[in-house]
Amino acid sequence: MNIIVIIFLVLGLIFFTGGSVGIIRFPDFYSRLHPAGKLDTTGLLMTMLAAALYTIQDFSTESLLTGLKIMLIVVFVFITGPTATHAIVDAGIRAGLRPWTKKEKAD
Amino acid sequence: MKWFGFIAVFLCGSLFIYGTVEFPGWGDPLSPTSTHVSPYYIEKTMEDTSVPNIVTAVLADYRGYDTMFETAVIFSAGIACLFLLRQMKRKKTDFRLYRHTATGITFRIEKGGKLPPTAKEFERIDGLWTPYDLIIKTTGRFIIPFIQIFALYVIAHGHHSPGGGFQGGVILGASFVLFAISHDLRSALNRMSEKLTAFFYTLGVYIYAGTGALCILLGANFLDYSALATILFVDPVTARSHGILIVEIGVGIAVMAVMVILYYNLVSAGKFDEGL
Repeated sequence: MNIIVIIFLVLGLIFFTGGSVGIIRFPDFYSRLHPAGKLDTTGLLMTMLAAALYTIQDFSTESLLTGLKIMLIVVFVFITGPTATHAIVDAGIRAGLRPWTKKEKAD
Repeated sequence: MKWFGFIAVFLCGSLFIYGTVEFPGWGDPLSPTSTHVSPYYIEKTMEDTSVPNIVTAVLADYRGYDTMFETAVIFSAGIACLFLLRQMKRKKTDFRLYRHTATGITFRIEKGGKLPPTAKEFERIDGLWTPYDLIIKTTGRFIIPFIQIFALYVIAHGHHSPGGGFQGGVILGASFVLFAISHDLRSALNRMSEKLTAFFYTLGVYIYAGTGALCILLGANFLDYSALATILFVDPVTARSHGILIVEIGVGIAVMAVMVILYYNLVSAGKFDEGL
């Protein structure tokens, strides 16, 4: 059981690292939101899954409830995270920021 | 004059730094606080108030007088913001925007122009920020009840876990702010008007101070909740626990209302007409 927990944790950390690198490396506002939105959500799913699995190791009603609450965090982040990214992109379009293209860089 | 200010600041600052030399070291077991007050709280909180969370017991019971004035400070912050920002003179904006809900066509009504009848076909939209976003509205509607339930949980569980009136009140206020962001300021004002907000933050402080005054009426010291035992039909120890809860609810209401009024004032520059 611990091995599965460790695998999930490491997977989640890989996603988080990818997200952090992506925020720094991507060229403009919109493409930076892409790793920030997607990879963090997946990374959170993996790490929270690991935490939930770790808590329900000693099987009882209390630990099951705690695991359920941890998975509830994932549910809320799955709903709010994409909405926040959507709102930020919307605000960027409204403010008149154009997406980055390769052609512009050549000029 | 500049130099005079600089010298005054320098002198005061060095006086403060000189004062810190006399302080006891961090976590010094022989310092006055660690020898007199802290051991009493740590050992006696459970038998005095039956509250497992010592921080809450100290905050709302032993040092309840301080916390009452903290609530009063929050209250006066809300009042001060109201006095500084609120524009009482109703000044008409240069133009207003209306949207036809069925077609999505936006009308711009100039100053003095005839406004469309307040029928259901037209909805007023903001001049600067015109979000027509079903996704954000729906998510807001879905998530706000959970935030509010969590806020009530934090307020009510101040005895047993970290939390209490201040934290829960901020979360509760944040849910109203989220509603105002995801919809618009006018629909938020329809749900939670300015008058209702003013009533709530007065009510919060009133509950706190009123509990203290009630204790005096029942023949005990100000904010000595054990006197409430006769009203609540419990023993004095449990009455102190319940008294803390009542006070926390007052703090929560006050903090929530102040958060909302601060948001309303800041976002609309005191006009309460258009805002984020």
